[in-house]
Amino acid sequence: MLVHAKKAGEFLRDKERADWQDKALWLVRKKRDMAASEVPGWEQLRNMASHIKNNVLSNLDDYLIEFESAAVRNGVKVHWASDASELRECVLSIVKSNNAVRVVKSKSMLTEECRLNPFLEKYGIEVTDTDLGELIIQLRNEPPSHIVLPAIHLRKEEISELFHEKLHTEKGVNDPAYLTAAAREHLRHKFLSSQVAITGVNFAVAESGAVIVCTNEGNADMGIHAAPVQIHCMGIEKLIPKTSDLGIFLRLLARNATGQPITTYTSHCLRPKPGGEMHVVILDNGRSKHLSESNYRNSLKCIRCGACLNTCPVYRRSGGYSYRFTIPGPIGSVLAPLSDMKDYKDLPFASSLCGSCTDVCAVKIDIHHQLYRWRQEIINRKLVSSVKLLVYGTAAKVLASNRLYNMSGKMARWALRNLPRRIIFLKSNKWGLERELPVAPRESFKEWYRRNQLNQKV
Amino acid sequence: MKSSREKILNNIRQYKSVLLQESKQPGTTFYDVPCGLKGLFITTVKSVGGEIVEVCSKSEADYYIRSNFRDVLDFENSETWIEYPPDCSVEKLNSIESAVLDGQAGIAENGAIWLDETNFPHRLIPFVVNHLIIRLNERKILADMHYAYEQIVTTRTGFGLFLSGPSKTADIEQSLVYGAHGAKRLTILLYKETDIKRSYE
Repeated sequence: MLVHAKKAGEFLRDKERADWQDKALWLVRKKRDMAASEVPGWEQLRNMASHIKNNVLSNLDDYLIEFESAAVRNGVKVHWASDASELRECVLSIVKSNNAVRVVKSKSMLTEECRLNPFLEKYGIEVTDTDLGELIIQLRNEPPSHIVLPAIHLRKEEISELFHEKLHTEKGVNDPAYLTAAAREHLRHKFLSSQVAITGVNFAVAESGAVIVCTNEGNADMGIHAAPVQIHCMGIEKLIPKTSDLGIFLRLLARNATGQPITTYTSHCLRPKPGGEMHVVILDNGRSKHLSESNYRNSLKCIRCGACLNTCPVYRRSGGYSYRFTIPGPIGSVLAPLSDMKDYKDLPFASSLCGSCTDVCAVKIDIHHQLYRWRQEIINRKLVSSVKLLVYGTAAKVLASNRLYNMSGKMARWALRNLPRRIIFLKSNKWGLERELPVAPRESFKEWYRRNQLNQKV
Repeated sequence: MKSSREKILNNIRQYKSVLLQESKQPGTTFYDVPCGLKGLFITTVKSVGGEIVEVCSKSEADYYIRSNFRDVLDFENSETWIEYPPDCSVEKLNSIESAVLDGQAGIAENGAIWLDETNFPHRLIPFVVNHLIIRLNERKILADMHYAYEQIVTTRTGFGLFLSGPSKTADIEQSLVYGAHGAKRLTILLYKETDIKRSYE
């Protein structure tokens, strides 16, 4: 069985949790719809965002150079990292040169991608994730299961138990307000005592060198304004050309992510604080190579709003961990095979191809079309099981021949009506493992249609 | 790191191609506000968890603050400004219970207020206090983010932000809780006309 299907099966064993997650995410999707419907010209905004990203991806080198020179003029130190290891080394050297032992970090999928935390910890540096959801999963030693809602797979009872053990909250008290207050107090101390703060980047403006960081909790700002040294880590694709472009992306981002009109804090970081240091690390890690993949390069437009996860019937019912890639869900299933096609060959199949992801995407990435292209590529390269190849091969022959198609339909209808269940539901019938088969009608649609057409003519 | 820079830029030059551009770039969509900017702003601020107090003038705003909130630091006051300089200790900043700042602009579509380093002497202030109070001239309300970036110079200082409502999180079972890390409470005093500029001396 494919890895995703197997892991999804494990997730679904806890039916109550799976149902809860499915409903919780669908509610986020509904909030998104409400927020989007209140904005006149929403579709136009999506078109504009997509259009701007087209321009960015077509001229990325120029925008990066423009951004770098503006940032340097602002007194920012700009670093370039070709891969994850260079990013880790770069951050480590900044931390070390400031003799820092305590680092606070706000949510950044990029530092997850680069496995930054365990690396810094190896050098005796204490790294604290400060987004509440991130703190929860850090205390549980888990990766995020969603890019916007990292602890969506956990119930409040589990968080209460965890906080009781790690933060000494009262046992059995599950009130989210109480637990949040405990985390606030715990992290306030971390903010005030850290020497370096690390954040991700939502947008980087080429013309001004500004780095935009969006949070609801205020954790990124508590970190970067309390610590003398701030480090912003960004992928090369985070650039936008002009400050005015922010108007378009900020109107889309929070509405599409959670249904809020904007995040609580939208911080524009331009220059280091007086007496402080501001660093920006620009990471490639395979992104420039993706530009050459004409079938998939659109996925570089992604602004990580998470809407495609919330809407996906497969993600909602299989959980983030079944994808085992930093970015789960539909967009992750496009990105994962770009990084390793063999390892993640099952992910493009973890989709119903219903197209809901494409419909909600803030920047109009044709996600389900890309998943479909991946499937074709993976099958053409014979990366799926020999049974599947045999089935596809046979199906291709049957569907191409009128005679074979009619005959096999007749056989199937006869078999479903007459064969005993134990033969129809043999172990080799994978479809039947979890599903009932339909009651077969006596005639095919084709036969029915022909009969009715003749009747009508009479 | 120089070599990585060249490597990345060369890769991009090698791999990039002109993506299909739509023949006509769509224009900006501006917010259409039938109920008036002020009405929309007030509704939106409330929906994101903020409080709104409407007053007639700036001096009435100050009077309201003095008579309703205790231990409030007003950063329009030059003595207060000087007391919390950029090299102020974080512990001292952490002890501020509530602060009053002057908002530069309010955005009707999302309830956000623009603040930058001309409004606070230390960047931590808008986040570290428990109760944040913002005075805003109602004539400074703009329709949407397009107008915001057209009218506000966001690059005037080294740091600026749009702030919409109090700090919040829903990371535990999607239950909304105010006061995650930043201010637990946000009060906006919306005043009408400007009175004579107060002297700092």
